[in-house]
Amino acid sequence: MGKKVTISQSAASVITAFVGVVILMIVFSFMNPNFIKFDSIMALLRSIVPYLLVGIGQAYVCITGNIDLSIGSVLGMSAMITATLICNGSSPILAILASFVCCMAVGFINGVLVGKFKLPPFIATLGTMTIGRGIAQLANNNYNTDNIGSAGAAQAFKDILYYGKTAGIFNGVWIALIIWAIFFYILSFTRSGRHIYAIGSNVDAARLSGVNVFAATTKAYMVSSFCAFVTGLVTLAQSGMGDMSAGMSYEMYAVAAAVIGGISTLGGSGLLVGVIAGASVWAILQSGLTFAKVPVAYRNIVIGILVVACVLFDVIRRNGTHRPKAKS
Amino acid sequence: MSEYAVSMEHITKFFPGVKALDDVQLHLRTGEVMALLGENGAGKSTLMKILSGVYTRDSGDIEIFGNRVEGDLNTRQAQELGVAIIHQELNMCQHLTVANNMFLGRELIKGGRLDFAEMNRQAVEQLAKLGINDLAPNTVVGTLPVGRQQMVEIAKALLINAKVLVMDEPSSALSNAEIDEMFRIVKELRSQGCAIVYISHRLQELHHIVDSVTIMRDGHYITEGKFADFTMDEIIANMVGREITEQFPRDEAHQGKKVLEVKNLRAGRAVKGISFDAYEGEVLGFSGLVGAGCTETMRAIFGADAKDSGEVILDGKPLNINSPADAIRQGIVLAPEDRKKDGLCTKLSIRENIALPNLDLICNKIGTVLRGHENKMIEKGKSSLTIKMANAEVAAGSLSGGNQQKIVVAKWLARDSRVVIFDEPTRGIDVAAKVEIYQIINQLKKQGVVVIIVSSELPEVMGISDRILVMCNGRITGEVDPRTVTEQEIMTYATQFGSNEG
Repeated sequence: MGKKVTISQSAASVITAFVGVVILMIVFSFMNPNFIKFDSIMALLRSIVPYLLVGIGQAYVCITGNIDLSIGSVLGMSAMITATLICNGSSPILAILASFVCCMAVGFINGVLVGKFKLPPFIATLGTMTIGRGIAQLANNNYNTDNIGSAGAAQAFKDILYYGKTAGIFNGVWIALIIWAIFFYILSFTRSGRHIYAIGSNVDAARLSGVNVFAATTKAYMVSSFCAFVTGLVTLAQSGMGDMSAGMSYEMYAVAAAVIGGISTLGGSGLLVGVIAGASVWAILQSGLTFAKVPVAYRNIVIGILVVACVLFDVIRRNGTHRPKAKS
Repeated sequence: MSEYAVSMEHITKFFPGVKALDDVQLHLRTGEVMALLGENGAGKSTLMKILSGVYTRDSGDIEIFGNRVEGDLNTRQAQELGVAIIHQELNMCQHLTVANNMFLGRELIKGGRLDFAEMNRQAVEQLAKLGINDLAPNTVVGTLPVGRQQMVEIAKALLINAKVLVMDEPSSALSNAEIDEMFRIVKELRSQGCAIVYISHRLQELHHIVDSVTIMRDGHYITEGKFADFTMDEIIANMVGREITEQFPRDEAHQGKKVLEVKNLRAGRAVKGISFDAYEGEVLGFSGLVGAGCTETMRAIFGADAKDSGEVILDGKPLNINSPADAIRQGIVLAPEDRKKDGLCTKLSIRENIALPNLDLICNKIGTVLRGHENKMIEKGKSSLTIKMANAEVAAGSLSGGNQQKIVVAKWLARDSRVVIFDEPTRGIDVAAKVEIYQIINQLKKQGVVVIIVSSELPEVMGISDRILVMCNGRITGEVDPRTVTEQEIMTYATQFGSNEG
């Protein structure tokens, strides 16, 4: 038969996405040479961080064949709870811990609703999204918080997460990469990762192979909440204040980063490295279009078309490969 | 040429990297039932998909009822020319009713609205022609057992006045009574001048109904002729290219101690109080009509479905099984009836499928999968089961039915289970692969594993089991010795609907 070795489809999507990154860089630097100055690139990298983080979480959930619409609200909760506690005198460490517990609880609830009670993920996470946003608003009694201040601990918080640099690169970038590496390892090399791919591919067969579907679903949702939690902290560090509307629409940006990076919304496939490319494309488009002085409305249209095109491409490619099955 | 209903000459078809059909021919007369035979991967389905317009041929001529097909044939045209396929995998919309499915895409309209009355009436009429008088046209298809759904699919094809009917493994999901009924219909269609292509691996049943035969192998046309002119051995030899001496290799059983006890198992309406014992080193066969409850019993034992009451005792210890994970951990495994839906993750690679239930064996303490152990496991599975694959990274869904089943089996062979349950172990699998599966069953038996097989193919269950339990309507109605029992006796037990026992 002599079937030649082909690059797997997932790898092909990832490579396409990275090629996209390169092309965009070239195009935008032609339109405005300031784009590729060292400082601009560093700022660009830092702008990728939030999209990369939420993209990782959404990727985990998409691979299980589900979706997480509550990411933006969890981000908001994280920022608001932490900011409110700090402004009311607690140490940043305790504030972060409290925030962590609340955010992970949302992830767990999503897991229970979808994994145990089998609610459609869209509806379940739409519910937690709305509730989460409400909690973010209630955290400081329906007000945005004051600035968390420049006292020692608070300043350290801002520097570690956003303003500071290590080895010439912003801290946030390192943090995002470390988090990416950890979740990449889990997904590609551990049992939990295998279970996550399995339930996205065929949940019935996975169950009959002994996979605990509830556990795997919940793990994915908790990863997603964790990533949203961290992104909330980064957002807070950047602005210095708790904003009740922090994170609005971030669940969609997360989907975009995942989908552009080759993660299929149908589940069972996709490589986490693609999310790096996906988030980068997104951030570069935002930034590049701003540098090129394109009005906001056009930016949204361009970006929306891109997401649809990526999903379309994925679906067409899947249907295309149903043709040449083994002869029978 | 025009004496033929269908004439296909010099058909060639390429897929990326593979020549699926190489100069294949087929000649089908009106009023004839032709068996299209060949191992899995021989090209039968591909050839039929070209005839029905699903695939386009790369070269060759097709003539249907004297009409030469110019250029590509699409499905609409094929339908208009009178070609219909009944697929092995059903194409029913599970949420719609019987009548809706039968009129899918050709709904009847009266006065601007759907004419439910007429559609229901015609559906009932068509089903009656098939001898089915107890199926309400507004029954939701998803609630019907697989055998019934297939009858609806056949009725649907007939409704479109097909003159060339291609039946792909039609009997694989039907009970024996339904098969007899289907044969009756096929003969009726034949006498009306239809031409029927009958694709089936159940060689023993062909003589009831088949006039001629065409045999393929590895994408090539091998031979054709009158069915009566071939012996079964010759047919198999042509299909396989070599002689298969024994269809059902059965080793002698040395019944050891009692390993498994099932007491008063009840689960829903399908399992109404099942009790049996199974011993070391024996193959225990379960036989029954569609709906008897054999599959449901096995799923309840395995924890795939919830049970209402009952005990499962292994080696004297009662087991607590609430999920497949529990069963697997305690030594009971199941190769399910529906391979594609429950047996494999088709998008994942062969390696990932085989490893999936065995991750506890190949991971280290923090959960990392150890590639070395995994590769060894895959190699062992590949060689002990002679699985034909380019490499272990290809998607499991790209393999032929026989090889897919071997993957399902390989998954479980990697563990030392006490009880291995096979539900329809060789459904949709060619002769050579069947024998390989039987040999594996014998090997397991020799190792002292309890093997339970559920099979609707009587020759199979009689040929491979050491003991047979017959079920009907959720209860065990008889226990027989396959060496001395007749098919009639098994049938009698299988139709004892009024069994006592609360």
